[in-house]
Amino acid sequence: MSFKKYITAAKISWENGFIYRLNFIMWRVRSVIQIITIYFLWLAITTKNPNSFGYDQVTLLTYVLGTSLMRAVVFSSRSIDAQREISSGDLNNYLIKPLNYFKYWLFRDFADKALNIVFSLIEIIILFFIFRPSLFFQTNILTLVQFLLLSGLAMIMYFYFSFIISMTTFWYPESNGWPQRFLIFTVLEFLSGGLFPLDILPKPIFNIVNLLPSAHFLFTPLQVYLGRISGSQIFFSAGNMLLWTVLLWALAKFMWHKGLKIYGAYGR
Amino acid sequence: MSIIKVKNLKKYYKVHEKEPGLKGSIKSLFSRKYKEVKAVNNISFEVKEGELVGFIGPNGAGKTTTLKCLSGLLYPTSGTVEVLGFTPWDRKAAFQKQFSLVMGQKNQLWWDLPPIETFILNKEIYEIPDNQYQKILKKLVKLLDVQKILNIQVRKLSLGQRMKCELIAALIHNPKVLFLDEPTIGLDVVMQKTVRDFIKDYNKQFKSTILLTSHYMGDVKKLAKRVIIIDSGTLLFDGNLQDVIDRFARNKIISLVFSKEINQRELAEFGDVREYQYPKARINVPRNQAAKKASDLLDKFPVADLVIEEPPIEAIIREVFTGKMKSSKKR
Repeated sequence: MSFKKYITAAKISWENGFIYRLNFIMWRVRSVIQIITIYFLWLAITTKNPNSFGYDQVTLLTYVLGTSLMRAVVFSSRSIDAQREISSGDLNNYLIKPLNYFKYWLFRDFADKALNIVFSLIEIIILFFIFRPSLFFQTNILTLVQFLLLSGLAMIMYFYFSFIISMTTFWYPESNGWPQRFLIFTVLEFLSGGLFPLDILPKPIFNIVNLLPSAHFLFTPLQVYLGRISGSQIFFSAGNMLLWTVLLWALAKFMWHKGLKIYGAYGR
Repeated sequence: MSIIKVKNLKKYYKVHEKEPGLKGSIKSLFSRKYKEVKAVNNISFEVKEGELVGFIGPNGAGKTTTLKCLSGLLYPTSGTVEVLGFTPWDRKAAFQKQFSLVMGQKNQLWWDLPPIETFILNKEIYEIPDNQYQKILKKLVKLLDVQKILNIQVRKLSLGQRMKCELIAALIHNPKVLFLDEPTIGLDVVMQKTVRDFIKDYNKQFKSTILLTSHYMGDVKKLAKRVIIIDSGTLLFDGNLQDVIDRFARNKIISLVFSKEINQRELAEFGDVREYQYPKARINVPRNQAAKKASDLLDKFPVADLVIEEPPIEAIIREVFTGKMKSSKKR
């Protein structure tokens, strides 16, 4: 099995991305502004209540900034374009070629994420030297490795999750996939820990939320980074993530085969 | 040997029917009526290796749907299709590497990148060895004369230039079977001819099997000896283009140039006068009486020039669709 075609797709995806210079700059500026506003908002909150929600100021600020970095990495995706391609019939171009559509988008997504990581890191380093915030730095190598592994798994999990949303377009081609995506994204923002750390929820609710795949997109990897969960808890979360990844992958495959049966190959 | 075998192919769609107006839209939110559309209804044909077949029919006849089934984009409702020994909708890589589909109104070129980038991506997708890629690319670029535009953003190219590059992108893996769906749509006459000539040359040089649909009878007339005519999902005719003409052209056209003005009413006795503007006239006469009528015309009128012509192919095909075949089907 040759991967060269997918690597070429990733490369061309970058080339294509750099064409839109203005978009690129705007998008980076937006992400910097986002980070700064979130930082000052939470700085204000935690300065007034130093021990908010069982988090001290440094940990909470690290969590909040961590989510915006993680969001750029986990939630960034080129593959949302798949829903447009299904809806418009542009999928035809891929179906007639010896190409795996999933792998094609997986590679393009990871190329995009790599770009995101590089730029986010540069920006964060610059911002760090400007604002000199007090942040928590994990120094334990094992914990950092665990954090990176779980983040990688979160990306793969999100890839299939997002692909499933795209594939609903097979059944509702008129809607272009956006209504479903907006609804899910709004819920996801909350359930992934993007608005606040999930463990400030009442315990019984948290226990349920923590079992959902969404909790692992942002919350779980960051908890590992912050050293707030360890040992058997990490093991349990990782197992839960793996299980969800397999389930989402299987569901995505199933939907793909079902969807192609009713796919209308629209357009002339 | 037949390279394409289609047997009793049927493709039915369910489409949702909306009553007109806002009221209909609101109603359709709650309950939807579905109607079955028989896009392709029991079609069978075979195509031999190296053949170039024209696929003709009005809009909605089922041409594109048939091509989509043959390309593996659609699963048929029933029937069997075999292309190069494969069932298209199994979408086996070994099959996909040997065929290509070009749709005049769908693009595969990356809009914001130069066409060469798409070619390179396709080279990798089809796993074409370097030397073979260079050889074919060179040949195609020369045939279509696009050397100068390979490194220009696709969005900056004209429609004709883009179509040429679309053709290269679709042919870079040297497919044995080629499906062309309206390849000349929207192009000006000069570009139509270029594309047409290219298809002809390509068929000759690469010995590929080509199935072509087009609205422009000119395309079909120039390219295909054999035509398949379909309408409303059913096959009306499959055979030589000349046979269509012989069977369905009931008339011939006599074009005249007179040396003196004549009485139009007298001319009408010879046939159906389509055009009369002194000194020129065109009349339709029954096919089998054309020679006799011509000689009578020469006797009766001061004729400076006379030509007997076949009616344009468009007119014949129109005849096929509007009258004759439908009535013969009823019989």
